[in-house]
Amino acid sequence: MHYLGLISLYLSCAFTLLALYAGTRPEAARHKLARRASSLSVAAVVISTLALVAAFVTSDFRLAYVARNSARSLSLIYKVSGLWAGQSGSLLLWLFIMSLFTIAVQKSRGLREVGLDVPVNVVINSVRLLFMLLLVFVISPFEVLQNPPYNGSGLNPMLQSLGMVVHPPLLFLGFSGFAVPFAVTVAQLWAGGRFDAWLELSRPWALFAWLFLTAGIVTGGQWAYNELGWGGYWAWDPVENASLFPWLTGTALVLTLQLSKGYPGRKVWSYILIVLSFALTIFATFLTRGGVLDSVHAFSGGPLGPIFMAVLAAILIFASALAYWRRGAFRGDGHGQVGFHGLLGWGVQGGVVLLLLLLAGVLFGTMFPLLSRAVVGREIVLDESFFNQVTVPLFLVLFALMALSPVLAKGGRGLRPLLRAAGIPVLLGALTGLYVYVAAGGGLAVSAAFAIAALGLAAHLGSLVWPGEKGFKLGSTAVHVGVLLMLVGVAGSSVFTDEIFISVEPGEVFHFGEYQVGYTGLTTRYGVDRYTVSTTLSLARNGTSVGELASAKTFWENRTQPSTKVGVFSTIKEDLYLNLAGWEGQAAQLHLERFALVSWIWFGAWLAYFGAALSLFRLASVGKLHKQVKARWQRTS
Amino acid sequence: MANKKVKVVVLALLPVLALGWLALRAFENSAAYYYTISEAQAQEVQDQKLRLKGQLVKDSVSYNSTIPLLEFALADEDSQVEAAYEGVLPDNFHHAEEVIVEGKFNAQGKFVVSKLMLQCPSKYEGEE
Repeated sequence: MHYLGLISLYLSCAFTLLALYAGTRPEAARHKLARRASSLSVAAVVISTLALVAAFVTSDFRLAYVARNSARSLSLIYKVSGLWAGQSGSLLLWLFIMSLFTIAVQKSRGLREVGLDVPVNVVINSVRLLFMLLLVFVISPFEVLQNPPYNGSGLNPMLQSLGMVVHPPLLFLGFSGFAVPFAVTVAQLWAGGRFDAWLELSRPWALFAWLFLTAGIVTGGQWAYNELGWGGYWAWDPVENASLFPWLTGTALVLTLQLSKGYPGRKVWSYILIVLSFALTIFATFLTRGGVLDSVHAFSGGPLGPIFMAVLAAILIFASALAYWRRGAFRGDGHGQVGFHGLLGWGVQGGVVLLLLLLAGVLFGTMFPLLSRAVVGREIVLDESFFNQVTVPLFLVLFALMALSPVLAKGGRGLRPLLRAAGIPVLLGALTGLYVYVAAGGGLAVSAAFAIAALGLAAHLGSLVWPGEKGFKLGSTAVHVGVLLMLVGVAGSSVFTDEIFISVEPGEVFHFGEYQVGYTGLTTRYGVDRYTVSTTLSLARNGTSVGELASAKTFWENRTQPSTKVGVFSTIKEDLYLNLAGWEGQAAQLHLERFALVSWIWFGAWLAYFGAALSLFRLASVGKLHKQVKARWQRTS
Repeated sequence: MANKKVKVVVLALLPVLALGWLALRAFENSAAYYYTISEAQAQEVQDQKLRLKGQLVKDSVSYNSTIPLLEFALADEDSQVEAAYEGVLPDNFHHAEEVIVEGKFNAQGKFVVSKLMLQCPSKYEGEE
């Protein structure tokens, strides 16, 4: 089986080389060959990936990678997800996803009609070739063990959760998604001419990548919250920040691409953001795999770091040179796209500036240990408080702009209509902020966050109910409302918290918040390679039972570390969070925490996905776009 | 024309200055200096947030689960430092070889840990 995987990888290299050769020939007749070779190389990658999955499913521990990341006793879903539990498998998954994009590009009517699908795939295939070479020569997942063990060393228990099944693929979908706008842009600029369809053709791809990167980041946070037991979902750790970099530029890109013509530098900024978003996905890989920064994620180092750094440099140099060579293409303000204009357009540009400032701030903070080592000879680490102090004010202004966006859209000319549209939302926001500040004692930043959220919700709902002629589309409204709900959740859960550490005997009932919590004792269960000690607390409010809260510690035969499963009891108002910290006999030590409004984050995220998916469907299904692009192409060429 | 240029420069400078101001203000309480254990021992730096990296001294670990308080020692080639962490024992603590701690020395020369980070040698190659 593993030979099949390895041979397929070699074959995919060969086909990709052929596709690159045929795709870069000037004769259009070669394009058919290029398409075929691309498809074959994709098929080879799919076979190779399936071969590794098959090795996981059949517990083929002759493969070192499978032996390291799987075990016979795992359930099927965790056997399959073992594919992305380590470095080389993750790289193969990334290649697999990028390969799907190759097919999507070939099938894209918009790209095909203007003859761009082959050049775009030349760019994507170059990136894919790099991954293939890494997988064949540097870190092969098909490395064979001389003496295969009877059982694998298993999947890290922390990774045995649904969050870890979906988080990496979503993140890789987002990461590799940003390669497509880059490829579209580079391919078109390379071809030359005044034709600037890349602005429109990049749009659906950028939105697609944004949707999945957002989902990837949120599920990562959700996993940390549900699995790691420290009660947080974001810690400004270098690895988390690394995924935030392309998200910040990607968000700015999605917004910039929707500006109407007439904004100075629209094309240049789109280009910069397209290149940056792609380059930052590579940079993220460098940071997380390069071992240059300490991270609680404790990635091992390895050879990937320097390689990705070199690739990053190559991308930036190439993109700058290309932009200089084709500087004529950035003149003018592009074709008559109708999008954000007037006040809303300026608001969006303000938002883009804020997103870039956020990028600069987070990048500076993340890289500061390296900077300080270079400058003063000592590593200085900036902790969460630095990131919070820098980003919170910027995020608040950004969200305030977003909250006001329906008002800005309706603004039109003059102050009076603007004030009329803003009146009720601003009043509601101010009252909410005042209430949180005075009655709930939320502090300035949190009160501001609540005020902004209330303002935004009112403004967006108002625009939904009375759309007028300049109302927002349902998709954008859903994304904005989702993000505002997330803002409420983040603000609430970061300030309104409470915790107790308590030792309890069986039969004891204690109070926590408005809950009566009952402890009955510990139960121990034995499995094949583990035993689990667990407790289930009963929860009651005003004497009526409302639910249960369970936490467990599992000890594994072949691991020195136990794994703790935290218990989460979630309501719309707050989460109860239980960590079974230890025990003596039947007396247990419990760490109980309360975080307000956490569930709003996850619900808001779902709403945002829904909105983005809706916009994406509209964008992809509008045949008009293709017709417009094609007509213009025929005019200009 | 010159007037317009000045306007553009001021407009571009404004956000950069704002960011610089934010960063400078945030810097004060959040910087933690990396010291080796021998450096930290030699200088007896108090009231300065430090980050130390060292090997966990295996038989030094004691954990009182009722407080909860975790005490351990970290060592490099030629020095050792006693550390205390008030918090729940992390799952992978005994498995860790290299430990990174952030915190301050107290008057007794004990390192009071506010943040505990573990690096495991082999098992956790894994994902984010």
